[in-house]
Amino acid sequence: MSSSISLRSRAIEPNRRAVLAGAAAGLALAGLPAPAFAAGTPELSEFVARITEGAVPLREGVTLAIPPLVENGNSVDVRVAVESPMTEQNHVRWIHLIADKNPFPDMARLHLGPRAGRAEISTTLRLAQSQRVTAVAALSDGRFAMAEADVVVTLSACIDGG
Amino acid sequence: MFNARITMPAEAKAGEIVEIRVLTRHPMDRGGQSDGKGGTVPRKILNRLTATYAGDQIFRFDMHTGVASNPFVSFTTRAVATGDIVFEWREDGGATYTRTSRLTVT
Repeated sequence: MSSSISLRSRAIEPNRRAVLAGAAAGLALAGLPAPAFAAGTPELSEFVARITEGAVPLREGVTLAIPPLVENGNSVDVRVAVESPMTEQNHVRWIHLIADKNPFPDMARLHLGPRAGRAEISTTLRLAQSQRVTAVAALSDGRFAMAEADVVVTLSACIDGG
Repeated sequence: MFNARITMPAEAKAGEIVEIRVLTRHPMDRGGQSDGKGGTVPRKILNRLTATYAGDQIFRFDMHTGVASNPFVSFTTRAVATGDIVFEWREDGGATYTRTSRLTVT
């Protein structure tokens, strides 16, 4: 009886070793490429271009405040401020928030106007995973401005539950 | 299901910029989960919040599934005249909810 068990276990042994080796190789591979945040990924620039109708947004004047590390992706505080006098001639029309790795990357659009007084908003977002969050502001003169921030999410707002 | 807490000053000087903070209780169900009967749960979120003050829409918040449940938003407006600021939410399915908050301008 004991011999048959040892035989069987010997037969299993190489398989398990192979599986473990394969898993280790897979882990090593997974760790090597794909840095967490590839700068200016094509998808993200496509999302931005779709929103700005092709215009290249300025990378100034927008402050995107979001914690760099969040524990719970189900509710992430974000604050966006745009430098603007908010007059009839020169104001922020809207602010759009994008998370390119969310199932629906367009998260929200906040429409402001000259009566806002200040172009400053805050809200709570859902982030499906660690990614780059982008805020695009449309200015009344037809230009756009944007800001980006990388966020690491430890507990994602996953598809099931939550 | 729906509840809203609006925090803003009760009075302000003319021309002063007041901050309005709106915390809404809503599950913001993004849908797509299994309903246990072979189908999926439909999306049911508040998809829009508008704020109207002294005859004009001063703020509009278009929400998608990327907005957290029990959404919070804050924005500002310049105090121009004594009156109600009317907040109206639109939910998937067509339901609307309205709240008002009075701002006295001195």
